[in-house]
Amino acid sequence: MPGYGNDCSGNTDSPLLGTPLVQLEDVSKHFGLIEAVSHVSLQVESGSIFGLVGSDGAGKSTLLRMVATMIKPSSGKIVIDGLDVMSQKMRVKPLIGYMPQRFGLYQDLTVGENIDFFMDIFGIFGAERGKRRERYLGFSNLLPFVDRLAGALSGGMKQKLGLACVLVHQPKVLILDEPTNGVDPVSRQEFWDILGEMRQGGMTILISTAYLDEGEKCDHMGLMHKSRILGIANPEEFRSHYPNLEEAMIHRIKEVDEGLIYDRFGL
Amino acid sequence: MNLINIKAVSRKEFYHLIRDFRSMYLAFIIPLLLILMFGYALSLDVDNVKTMVVDHDRTELSRDFIRKLDASSYFKVIYHLRDTVAAIRYLDQGSTTMAVVIPPGWTEDIKADREAQMQVLLDGSDPNFASLSRGYITAFVEAYNRDRFIDFLNRSGKERIEPPVDGRIRVWFNEDLESQNFIVPGIIAIIIMIVGAMLTSLVIAREYENGTMETVRSLPIRGGEFLIGKAIPYFLIALTDVLVAVFMGQVLFGVVMKSSFWLMVLASTIYISVALSLGLLISIATKSQLVANQIAILVTFLPSMLLSNFVFPVENMPKVFQLLTYIVPATYFIDILNGLYLRGLGLDHLWPSYLVLVGMLVVLSNIGFAILKKEGM
Ligand SMILES: Nc1ncnc2c1ncn2[C@@H]1O[C@H](COP(=O)(O)OP(=O)(O)O)[C@@H](O)[C@H]1O
Ligand SMILES: [Mg+2]
Repeated sequence: MPGYGNDCSGNTDSPLLGTPLVQLEDVSKHFGLIEAVSHVSLQVESGSIFGLVGSDGAGKSTLLRMVATMIKPSSGKIVIDGLDVMSQKMRVKPLIGYMPQRFGLYQDLTVGENIDFFMDIFGIFGAERGKRRERYLGFSNLLPFVDRLAGALSGGMKQKLGLACVLVHQPKVLILDEPTNGVDPVSRQEFWDILGEMRQGGMTILISTAYLDEGEKCDHMGLMHKSRILGIANPEEFRSHYPNLEEAMIHRIKEVDEGLIYDRFGL
Repeated sequence: MNLINIKAVSRKEFYHLIRDFRSMYLAFIIPLLLILMFGYALSLDVDNVKTMVVDHDRTELSRDFIRKLDASSYFKVIYHLRDTVAAIRYLDQGSTTMAVVIPPGWTEDIKADREAQMQVLLDGSDPNFASLSRGYITAFVEAYNRDRFIDFLNRSGKERIEPPVDGRIRVWFNEDLESQNFIVPGIIAIIIMIVGAMLTSLVIAREYENGTMETVRSLPIRGGEFLIGKAIPYFLIALTDVLVAVFMGQVLFGVVMKSSFWLMVLASTIYISVALSLGLLISIATKSQLVANQIAILVTFLPSMLLSNFVFPVENMPKVFQLLTYIVPATYFIDILNGLYLRGLGLDHLWPSYLVLVGMLVVLSNIGFAILKKEGM
């Protein structure tokens, strides 16, 4: 059934939502016999945060990697800001900032050298370079640590440095794959505060998470299970039929596992 | 090609390099050690052999013999001893390596046309050195005999007698038969393989292992830019090493380039690029530092080590190995260097080897680009 994502584009109350910036149409990905992503369609509207919630192996990373131009879909179409991700990869890349699940920072480079590498690649030089450095390392409270080796940072600080690196070219679309996995609660909160600020600035964010409480901070959340998107709604809608989000999820997953329904989420 | 991207990658790679002790060691210390070690240990040439003499004869003639021995560049008489026992003691201590013992009545025997014998004691602990010393002393005695003979004839006969046929071997190309002349090109080839291929075989595998390859792939940077950026720091180091090796070869071992210096730089530039593409290709294909390193040793370091005549001459190897040398880049590089160093040849003779190296570079780098492209870069 095409277009779960279409269901919720009209009935949202967020004032910042605009036109769809990221569009997925019937996207699938096979790895041999494994179908990691199966017929996913969704839209992420400009200036919104879209959360992909699902347990391990659901297919979140595979989906995000396709959006981030890292791998090609087996079928379907992905469009970002009017550009086809498959055929216009080099034009899409500057538009996006992608932080992989296992974000590889250069451990033997300092905080400053890591962010400099990203600025080098995106051609940020001159006065702007200093400003961006100040701004994005400042956001993540990393300014006091510019000369520290990235390998010597704590887990939370590493993730924030990763975020600073992918933000530094001010992408239109930010793609984050479980960025707060294994991060302490305080750093997690700080991380989400930064995302909130970016969203205020008009950035569109696509983020995956296994934490339900993080799903609640998104404008829309898509529940992903066994390679499929079971439903897309805003957190209030998910909650409206159940006492809490967790129960809503579990109920929904059970239904699908029992092969009962393939219709829209709990409505 | 975007120069900004290449510069960005190079700069980053340079930081990795200077922070990694193992890489720095391979890049700078090992080449230096190689030059010194091989230069000295493998300079098999014998000159100024420390020689003792025991002269029991004590005549005009025996003193003349000893004087000529000392005057020759091959021997240096450092002790005049009374008896053989003392000579043996010095040999045991290792302070000298050869003793010449002239028995009593030596001159008389010569004058009476009897066979005049002489004893030579050699330290055989270094067989190579001993056999060379033996060859030199034998040749020296023969030459001495010949001179004596001619001298005798000239003095007794009325007219001057031309020396009989004087068979002398003229060695071409490496006229002073100095092994470092052969060794310097070999050292350069090996150093380039260590810095070029062994070091770079790690650099992309490291990105895969640390998960940074995913990051790099998400950036607007092409495979070619990435590879060239990665190669540049290693290229500069390898070229520096080559120049140091050439310089040290000249200063320490007196190996002087007969042909153009710039042809050597050109050959090194191409060969370094071949080594770099090979190393990077291994790195891309294996994605594991451990495997990459082992393969690099197997396909780059070992062949150039064997081919550089360090271990044994190629013509003594089994036929299969000899055929294998045709696909090993070091063969062509060493061929060029020998041509430049020993024979003073120019591009008019050496161009086929240059061409083969360029061909190898084109093939190897394109395979590397193709694999990266397939991986989505
Ligand atoms: N490169 C790959 N090759 C083969 N199978 C893969 C690959 N990437 C992911 N998968 C499989 O696809 C499924 C979804 O994985 P993934 O997208 O990583 O899920 P999640 O991120 O939600 O944990 C899993 O069964 C995983 O084993
Ligand atoms: Mg994942």
